[in-house]
Amino acid sequence: MAEQVDEGAGLLRRHRRSRWNSLPYTLVLLIVAYLAVFILFPIAQQFLTSFSNNVVGVDKVQWVGLRNYERLFEDDDFWFSVQVTFTYMAFVVVGAVSLGLLSALLLNRKFRGRNVARSAIAVPWAFPEISAVLVFLWMCNPTFGVMNVFARLIPGIEQNLNWLSDPKLAMPLVIALSIWKAFPFTFLVILAALQAVPRELYEAADVDGATRMQQLRYITIPEITPTLMLMAVLMSIFSFKQFTLIWLTTGGGPYGGITETLVLRIYQTAFRFFDLAYGATLGVSGFVIVLGLTLLFVYAQQRQDRARRR
Amino acid sequence: MNAGAHLRHRLRRFGAGMAFYALIIGFCGVVLFPVYWMIVNAIQPLSHGMQYPPPMIPEEISFLPFTTLFENYPVGRWLVNSLLLATMTTLIVLALAVLGSFAMTFLKWRGKAAFGLLLLMTQMLPEALVVIPVYAMYRNLGLSDSLPTLSLVDAAFILPICIWVLKNSFDSIAEEIYEAALIDGCSPLGALVRTLLPLSAPGLVAVSVVAFFYAWNEYLFAVTLINSPDIRPVAVGLASLKVMLDTPIDRVLAAALFFSIFPVIFYLLIQRYIVAGLSAGAVKG
Repeated sequence: MAEQVDEGAGLLRRHRRSRWNSLPYTLVLLIVAYLAVFILFPIAQQFLTSFSNNVVGVDKVQWVGLRNYERLFEDDDFWFSVQVTFTYMAFVVVGAVSLGLLSALLLNRKFRGRNVARSAIAVPWAFPEISAVLVFLWMCNPTFGVMNVFARLIPGIEQNLNWLSDPKLAMPLVIALSIWKAFPFTFLVILAALQAVPRELYEAADVDGATRMQQLRYITIPEITPTLMLMAVLMSIFSFKQFTLIWLTTGGGPYGGITETLVLRIYQTAFRFFDLAYGATLGVSGFVIVLGLTLLFVYAQQRQDRARRR
Repeated sequence: MNAGAHLRHRLRRFGAGMAFYALIIGFCGVVLFPVYWMIVNAIQPLSHGMQYPPPMIPEEISFLPFTTLFENYPVGRWLVNSLLLATMTTLIVLALAVLGSFAMTFLKWRGKAAFGLLLLMTQMLPEALVVIPVYAMYRNLGLSDSLPTLSLVDAAFILPICIWVLKNSFDSIAEEIYEAALIDGCSPLGALVRTLLPLSAPGLVAVSVVAFFYAWNEYLFAVTLINSPDIRPVAVGLASLKVMLDTPIDRVLAAALFFSIFPVIFYLLIQRYIVAGLSAGAVKG
């Protein structure tokens, strides 16, 4: 018996030492090469382009050093779009995480029809962005939109609103649409985290006579804080990347880019103004933000891991 | 008096229960309202939707939006294109994700953390940030305006998430099972195909659904890289309906409804695996 085990272990060791040693590197190289073509190479090219004067139609593409970056720092429109980006991100992150948390708390108790309610809340997450945009546009139609019916229930509103063309309403509406699309995901993950909180903690608290609110404050919230942080980071990535929901509803408008986030601005600069060099420069600034978010994600992830192992 | 107190207690509990249900139903109602509104406007005659205030409950059901949609717009064509695009993307992603998460979970090698970081960065990169150079590259190589080459880009962008999801499913398989297969004389790849893959069927299904519907829903790359109307995927076709102001809204929403049914059904069926994979998807080196 012992010999057999020894033999098995020997085989295993030989396997590991043999020609299969290079297998992991071959596999990973394959994937890295694939990603290089579509991710790394384009990024490198953007980086190079940002030092040139490449505009569609220009006679001779030349290196211009840091000129695009000088322009970037003096470009009020760029800083405005950064401000729009972070405003949009802040509202979507806070909105999606807190709504996800509230609905997860609500559905964390046992009741009849819980699975139905859970699936119902998950629907927007599964819903394609384009379809969400199309029905949202129709709901916000100034003439026939059903949003007018709801708005008119509020005292003081007697006329149909302009919704997406209204500079005061455009941003809140786009944020609301994004939260609607995003919060079901945080809901599902937070609900899973809530169900993983050890039951003994609550039982002990019951014995000690802790109220529901105290249990929430001193047990539930501390236990799921790492998950909440992770969700906040994931939501900031979701909102930073977001193109379709904004582009197809407001297109960055109305008036001077009130909802024009950085991604939209990059797209516009390259595909509407054909200024490839400056578009690339904006892209590099976006890439810097992506790097920052990646580090944040790693940090949040490690915290969650540590909490889980504890 | 005792009985009265008991009754009062039960009444209060009943009332709290009712309030709780009312809250749940109200909340779900608000969340689902846009979906409801899409369905209502896609199955009632156009004249009902085009009045103010619109009726909250359809007064008349009509399938005209659907029939006219399929008669007047190449929706069937778009659906076939999306089906092809999404299937190709899924196959590419499945092959690469299986190999990638296998290397991440069962093989020992240097540089796992760096590889994880590369995947993570890819996952966070906005599509709009690389769409310009990818467009330029495709134009120079004559690769644009084709569904297979579009599926290559889509696959690259959804691959990282799929590797995390599949890794999570591999993680739940005991290492001993893999080692037992090696001892029985399997090569590492043989062990992967014969023992690991059959054990991670739910993970494979989840990855397929994620990859399939990423390509199905994806808009930015599709609208940039595809020019010919003949090979438009549904996402681009639908968005073009929005741009053509003359498209009656009932048809637009009927198309949107048709487009949404499949992802909603499949996502709800496999949500458990995706949630587990995405929330656990870590950079564990």
